[in-house]
Amino acid sequence: MNNIRKNRLKDQAFKVWGIACTLLGLILLLIFLGNIFMDGIQRINWSFLMNLPSRSPEKAGIYTALMGSLWVLSLSTIFALPVGIAAAIYLEEYGKKNKLASILEVNISNLAGVPSIIYGLLGLEVFVRIMEMGASVMAGSLTLGLLILPIVIVSTREAIKAVPKSIRDASFAMGASKWQTVYLQVLPASFGGILTGVILAVSRAVGETAPLIVIGALAYVPFAPLTPMDQFSVLPIQIFNWITRPQPGFVENAAAAIIILLFITFVMNGIAVYFRNKWQKKLK
Amino acid sequence: MGKEKNESVIESSLKRKYKLQAKDVNVFYDDFQAIKGISMDIKANSVTAFIGPSGCGKSTFLRLFNRMNDYVDGFRMEGKIFIDDQNINKKKINVEQLRKQVGMVFQKPNPFPKSIFENVAYGLKIQGIKDKTFLQERVESSLKQVALWDEVKDNLNKSALTLSGGQQQRLCIARTLAVEPSVILMDEPTSALDPLSTAKIEELIHELKNKYTIVIVTHNMQQAGRISDYTAFFYIGEIIEFDKTNKIFTNPEKKQTENYITGRFG
Amino acid sequence: MTNLDQYRESLKQSGLEMFELCEKQMLKSKEAFLTHDSDLAEEVIHTENRVNALDLKIDRDCERFIALYTPVAGDLRFVLALRKINFDLERVGDHAYGVAKYIIEINTPIDPKLLVNLRFVEMYDSALSMLDDIKAAYINDDTKKARKVYKKDKVLNKININAFKVISEEVKKDPNLIDQYLLLFSIIKKIERIGDLITNIAEEIIFYREAEILKHQKKKKVRKPKE
Repeated sequence: MNNIRKNRLKDQAFKVWGIACTLLGLILLLIFLGNIFMDGIQRINWSFLMNLPSRSPEKAGIYTALMGSLWVLSLSTIFALPVGIAAAIYLEEYGKKNKLASILEVNISNLAGVPSIIYGLLGLEVFVRIMEMGASVMAGSLTLGLLILPIVIVSTREAIKAVPKSIRDASFAMGASKWQTVYLQVLPASFGGILTGVILAVSRAVGETAPLIVIGALAYVPFAPLTPMDQFSVLPIQIFNWITRPQPGFVENAAAAIIILLFITFVMNGIAVYFRNKWQKKLK
Repeated sequence: MGKEKNESVIESSLKRKYKLQAKDVNVFYDDFQAIKGISMDIKANSVTAFIGPSGCGKSTFLRLFNRMNDYVDGFRMEGKIFIDDQNINKKKINVEQLRKQVGMVFQKPNPFPKSIFENVAYGLKIQGIKDKTFLQERVESSLKQVALWDEVKDNLNKSALTLSGGQQQRLCIARTLAVEPSVILMDEPTSALDPLSTAKIEELIHELKNKYTIVIVTHNMQQAGRISDYTAFFYIGEIIEFDKTNKIFTNPEKKQTENYITGRFG
Repeated sequence: MTNLDQYRESLKQSGLEMFELCEKQMLKSKEAFLTHDSDLAEEVIHTENRVNALDLKIDRDCERFIALYTPVAGDLRFVLALRKINFDLERVGDHAYGVAKYIIEINTPIDPKLLVNLRFVEMYDSALSMLDDIKAAYINDDTKKARKVYKKDKVLNKININAFKVISEEVKKDPNLIDQYLLLFSIIKKIERIGDLITNIAEEIIFYREAEILKHQKKKKVRKPKE
C-alpha cells in the first residue's frame, strides 16, 4: 500500500510542479505586457501612427518604420513561401532518398539555427553590393527571405510527411500522375501544417533587427518607402533607436511602438490560426 | 490500353481467352526474392482468390497487375505480365492509363479527406473530365452499384471521413468503378471490417463479377470459398496450387494445400 | 438473395426434382403392374439411370456446399438433412425399379381377386399419398404435414402384417396360387420399406426445421412444433 501512496504523491507533486512552471511563464509574460502597456498605451494615437520620426519625442511617430516593416514582411514572405514550399515538395516527393538527401536534410535544419547576423552579412555582400540593390527594401526582404526559408522548408516537409501514405497510394492506384497527387491530395491535406510554418516564419521575420541593420536599414528615415528600391527602416530598429535616446519621452515612444509590434504579431498569428482551423474543419 | 477501341471493353475481353496472364515472373527487392517463377492465367469475369500465410508474396504479385510495386525501392521484376494480351511493362505503356483499366481496393479503407462526391469523381477529374452533368451521373451510378446511393444521396458534400468503416470501403470501391475499369484488384478488402460490412461487400463482389474480372487477396479462407471461382495458394513466393475453388476446398492435389486449408499449418 | 441463399435454393430444387422423379417411378410401376404393361415397365427401368445420376449430383452439390460455404445452424441442418433425404429417395426409386423388373420377368398378370384379399391397391395408394404428403412438407418446410405420415405408415404396417396371415390361409386352400402370392408378398414388403423410408424423410425434415432428433425414439406422437 505504501507504494501506491508514494506513486500518488509523486503524481500530485508533478502536477503541482507542472502548473507552477506553466504559470511562471505566463506570469512573466503578463508582467512584461502589463509593464509595456502601462508605459506606452497613452502615447498611442493617430498622430503617433502617422508621424514621421523627429528629434522631439512628442512629435515623433512610427509611420515610416511601420510602413517599412509591412513592406519587408510582405516581400520576404512572397519570396520565401513559394520557394520554400516548392523545395520541400521536391525534397519530400520527388527526391531520391539516399545519403545525399539525408545530408541535405540535416543542413537545411542547421540553416534555421544560423545566427541571423550572418544572413545580414550575406545579404550585404550579395544583394546590396554585388547585385547593386543598395540598402533597399528589396535587399532587406531578400535577406530576411533567406533567413526564414529554412523554417518554411522544414515545417512544410513535416506537414507533407504527415499526410498518410495510404492517400498517395489511393491516388496513384487511380491513375493520377505524381504532380496530380501532390497538387490535388498532398498539398490540400497538408495545408494546415504549411500554414503553421508560415506563422512561425513570419513571426520570426517581423522581429528581426540585426540582419537589417547590417544591410543598412536606417535608424532615421524621414520618408516611407514607396518602391522596393527605396531605403527603409523597420519597427524593431526604430524601437532600438528610441531606447538609446536619453529623453524619457522616447522611452514612452519605444513602449508604444513595442505595443504596435506585438499587436501586428498577434493579429497575423490570429489570422493564420483562423484559416488553419477553418481548413482543418473541412478535412474532418 | 493506349489504343482506340471501337468495341466495348467487355466485348473485347470476352473474345480473349485469358484476361490476365503472368509468365515466369520473378520479383526481387534488392537481394530478397519475393516471387519465384510464377505463371498464371486468369479468365475474364471470374473471381480469383489468393490465399496463403503472411509474407508469401500474395500482395506483391497482386500489385504487379497495376504496377504499384514500381514505387518500392529496390523493386526488380523478371518475366512478363499481360493484360488483354498486352505486356504491361513495355516502355510504351502509359502507367496512368493502365491504372484506369485496373482498379485497386486496399485493406484499410482510404477515402480522400474530401467530400463523398469529390472522392468518387476524382478518377474522372484527373482525366480532365469537367462536364458537371456527366460527373454527377457517373457518381450516382457508381454509388448505386455499391449500394451506397440511398445512404448518402442527400449528403454528397459531407466529408467521406464521416462514414462508417464499411461505408468507406464501399465508397473506395465506388471510386474505382467510376472510371469503368475492366479489372479490380482487392488486397484484403474486408479484413478491417465487421462481419456485417464484410457480408455486404462479399455480396457486392458477387454482383460485380458479371462485369469485371476480380482478383482478391484474402487471409480468410472461408471468404475465398464463398466468393471465388478460382483459388491460388501461395507459399514463400511460389504458387503451390492453382485450381477451381471447389477442387481446392474438397480435394486439393497437394498435401501442403490441404494442411493450410484445414488449419494444420504451423 | 445472397450467394449462399441462391446455392441453397438450387440444392432444394434438386431435392424436389429427386422427389418428383421417384414419385413418377412409383406411379408408373403401380400402373404397369396393375395393367401388366411391359412397355411402361421398361420406361421405369431406363429412368433408373436418371435417378442414380441425380443422386450422385445432389451428393456432390451438398459436399460442395459444405466445403465452400461452411454452413452453420439452419443451413447446416438443411444440407445434412438433404443428404439423407436424397439417400432415402434413391432407395424409394430403387424399390419402384424392383417392381418394374418383376413385371418384365413375369409373363402372366396377377389374378385381381388376390390383390383385393391383400388390400394391395390400398397399400400402394397409401404409400403414394404418403410420398405426396412428405413432398409437400419438404417444399413448404411444414413439419406438421411431415408428422402426418406416421399415422399413414401404421396402415402400411398393418397391411403388411396381415398379408402374412392371409397368404398362409389362402395357400392352404389353393396351393397353385403360391407363385402369385409370393410375388405379391415381395412387392408388399417393398411398399412397407418405402413407407419406412418416407418416415425417415419425415424425421429429417423435422430435424432440419426444429433441431429435434426423433430417430430411434419409440413413440412418435403428433407433437406441437417449436416456434
